[in-house]
Amino acid sequence: MTEAVDEFEFFLNKQWSDGFPVVTPTEARLETMLKGTRCDPDEVIGSIPPAMEKATVRTVAIHALMAGCKPEYLPAVLGGINLMLREEFNMNGVQGTMHGVAPLMIVNGPYAKKIGIHGENGCFGPSFRANATIGRAIRLMMLNLGGGIAGIGSATIFSTPLRYTACITENTTQSPWETLAVSKGYLDTDNVITCAMVESPRLCFDDVSQEPDRLLNGIADSMVAMGSWNMHARSDMVVAMGPQHATICSKAGMSRADVHARLCKIAGRKVRDLKNGGNWRRERALGFPIKVNPDDDDFFIPAIKEADDLQLMVAGGWGPCTAVCHGWSGGSKAVHGKYEI
Amino acid sequence: MANDLGFIDPTAGGGRAMVALAPRPMDLAGKVVGLLDNTKEQGTLILETIGKVLQEKYGVAKVILRAKEHYSKPATDSLIDEMSKEVQVAIAAVGG
Repeated sequence: MTEAVDEFEFFLNKQWSDGFPVVTPTEARLETMLKGTRCDPDEVIGSIPPAMEKATVRTVAIHALMAGCKPEYLPAVLGGINLMLREEFNMNGVQGTMHGVAPLMIVNGPYAKKIGIHGENGCFGPSFRANATIGRAIRLMMLNLGGGIAGIGSATIFSTPLRYTACITENTTQSPWETLAVSKGYLDTDNVITCAMVESPRLCFDDVSQEPDRLLNGIADSMVAMGSWNMHARSDMVVAMGPQHATICSKAGMSRADVHARLCKIAGRKVRDLKNGGNWRRERALGFPIKVNPDDDDFFIPAIKEADDLQLMVAGGWGPCTAVCHGWSGGSKAVHGKYEI
Repeated sequence: MANDLGFIDPTAGGGRAMVALAPRPMDLAGKVVGLLDNTKEQGTLILETIGKVLQEKYGVAKVILRAKEHYSKPATDSLIDEMSKEVQVAIAAVGG
């Protein structure tokens, strides 16, 4: 390091950062970080659009260390970026879009617990190193290797706080149900990541309902805003039920699948209602993957067009609240898979 | 990858690839113009209007309208190849 260069300022001036200082990547730190994986550093994971610079195990490790990860977090970062580059996830579109969604990583399985990914009180917010830095490593790659910088490679209007980091797990301690990963057919012992392109969570507070019908009506209402792309396109959505809300449903005999099915059924609005504001266009409705009649004012348009677009999980601390993350219009399909540790 | 400052360039030295711009035509008379619709609503309307004006006012010989598969995805290589063979000038539109 020459005396004349302050490395923190250097990285910020270069725009090799998300606006916060980064841990300076040196060869010595990189060597330590690479001890977190058995993969060959030269192994190519893929190219990050739109700039299409290569993500190799080495460049992923560089960004993990810049983000503040411990070496043991590296498998989750590698697993996440590997999934996110699948074609159906459409990273290219999200990097360029006017909208403000981010790839939310939901990490299930014993390794998430071992490295301290947090899914309980305050899981979408600060204070948890694994959540903060794994998601940040992904974002730094999307900026430095993908060029998805607002006003340059990205046309985003507002962006979203989820673009600083977006990595959580489930509250398996207090959840009455199987995990999201198990609901997709994985084993409890599998280490699985699910990624969905979503907006920041909108909180549905309900400290009144003590039975599922009323409770789920309120949550469904949070899923159907006129300006939400879920009402105007096929789109993913994440509903993270607080364990208290999930327990109300469970105690009434509802399984996770029951709640999932109920929300898919009742979350929606009639055409008459949708015409009054938001993104309604007749031709958009005709492009849905389900049959609709946009000329029938009484026709019910569901927020969830295909059942596997709703990622229902249990997270957050004990309390009467559920988080709803709306999706994106541009044809991204949630992805999931096991990752190597 | 390490530089003489003692730390690593996280961009992997990217951004050095240069793509030369195609030669600019001096006028459009007699040219074939390709219009690429991104498939967002009203993109076709905008392009058809432009195409008509180009023919009426600038003597464009022919206008060819093509569309991407989806507005959020890049045009395929085959579409780009096809258009590059057929047209001398291409215009892309973003509807919405």
